[in-house]
Amino acid sequence: MGTDRYAYQSRLRRVAPLPKLVLAAAALVVCLCCDSVWVGLTTVLAMGILITVLGGLPVKVYLHFLKVPLAFLVVGGITILIHSYPTGTATLAALPVGERLWGFTAGDLDQAARLFCKAMGAVGCMYFLSLNTPVTDLTMALERLRVPRLAVELMELIYRFIFVLGATAANIRLAQESRLGYQGFRRSVRSLGELSSMVFLRAWRKAQSIYTALEARGYAGSLATLAGDYTPGLWLLPLTVAIAGGQLLVYGLERMAVG
Amino acid sequence: MNPAIETRQLCYAYEDGTTALDHITLSAQRGSITGVLGSNGAGKSTLFLNLNGVFTPQSGQVLLNGVPVSYDRKGLTALRRRVGIVFQDPDDQLFSADVYRDVSFGGVNLGLPPEEVRRRVEEALVRTGTAGLRDRPTHALSYGQKKRVAIAGVLVMEPEVLILDEPTAGLDPQGVSEIMRLLVRLRDSLGMTVLIATHDMDIVPLYCDYAYLLGGGRVLRGGTPEELFADPEALRANHLRLPRIAHLMEVLRQADGLDTHRSAATIGAARREILRLLKEEEKL
Repeated sequence: MGTDRYAYQSRLRRVAPLPKLVLAAAALVVCLCCDSVWVGLTTVLAMGILITVLGGLPVKVYLHFLKVPLAFLVVGGITILIHSYPTGTATLAALPVGERLWGFTAGDLDQAARLFCKAMGAVGCMYFLSLNTPVTDLTMALERLRVPRLAVELMELIYRFIFVLGATAANIRLAQESRLGYQGFRRSVRSLGELSSMVFLRAWRKAQSIYTALEARGYAGSLATLAGDYTPGLWLLPLTVAIAGGQLLVYGLERMAVG
Repeated sequence: MNPAIETRQLCYAYEDGTTALDHITLSAQRGSITGVLGSNGAGKSTLFLNLNGVFTPQSGQVLLNGVPVSYDRKGLTALRRRVGIVFQDPDDQLFSADVYRDVSFGGVNLGLPPEEVRRRVEEALVRTGTAGLRDRPTHALSYGQKKRVAIAGVLVMEPEVLILDEPTAGLDPQGVSEIMRLLVRLRDSLGMTVLIATHDMDIVPLYCDYAYLLGGGRVLRGGTPEELFADPEALRANHLRLPRIAHLMEVLRQADGLDTHRSAATIGAARREILRLLKEEEKL
């Protein structure tokens, strides 16, 4: 949820969500289809430039956000990198364990590197979207793309009440902890169970009071609202084409270098 | 006189049959702030939901400008446009994570053209001092800020009557005076009729023009704050109390035999009383 805070401060906040969605989706698709180390790196760099230069996010914060999926990717990468081979295979690095060699070949390294860079590129695209577009704008864009109203309204309500119920749960937990509710395994399990049922009950009651409050403001079956003023952001479309072109150019150059 | 909203012999019972409101008759004058005082469970919130048509009274009437409210679809829409409710917990009212969109909700529901909704949203944001909050998500706001955004979300419908359930509960002292001054501005500049349910007795003499004492679903007393405070026993019997200053005046009168006037419930009134007593002392 940390991204939302930055999305509200982004310089691209007032740009209509749809062009931003298109840009991120196009770059994401190209990055995934090319399946190449250099395209992946280009994508994550290009998105970094867009986020920091256009969006005004400090470079440090972007790097911090890139670190978030890093642990996951490193673990995933290692499992793809390391294989077991019969002794005598031409490996780049390997440890003999019993009868076999545990290590990786040039092919394994290439595969792991491609996966890693592709994933980082994809993460960059998603960050471009989520660090510049608040969730409420995104649901608005989904509505424009003819996603059913019911689904969109549910997403909006769920997003809002994640925070309300989260605060409730945190308060209950604090109250339990201050009365030694989490000392020892048995007591912890019991307290956690009570917390869950309390949050469920509160959510139930909350739903009723929300409904009453919505009715008092003339709710007639749809959560129709008006978003703040947007700039159309059509200038993002040529940029989208330029970025996709750049990615494909890098891909072509890489092919040529290999070929 | 010319009440903006009134009830006549209003009765309401919950689904399980317990009586919540028992022949309530009260009225709020146009362009005034009317307090509805009562302890927890006195029926204040239920009364307010009846005034806005969320609850339909069992018997009795709600009248707007002297005309009984009709409970068909059209009548209800009109009622909810003209009578706005601000709920006690702003988290019950704010359903969107976006301040601007939440405030626009009531305006969109009125079927107004988008430019008119935008104009009203801007006006409501400025009036409540929340214009600077539009670039923050709802969950990043403080309790007092949420409360003001909730008020903006109701003002956007431009109601004639604004009802607030416990508007000062949970606010710090500065927050309380900010909200109450906002209500005074709405009364004075727009001629809005304001009804507040409260058991914060200290705000009553400062901001209310008239007040009712509710207990057990009935109207027990009605009058200016001074008139209500003249009978402290009625307040105490209903788990309420005098404002601190009025209590001090009562103690000075009863324990120390000073000739203080019973209506002095604000700092200003108490100051005048003390100065008057000092002058009388000098003369003797």
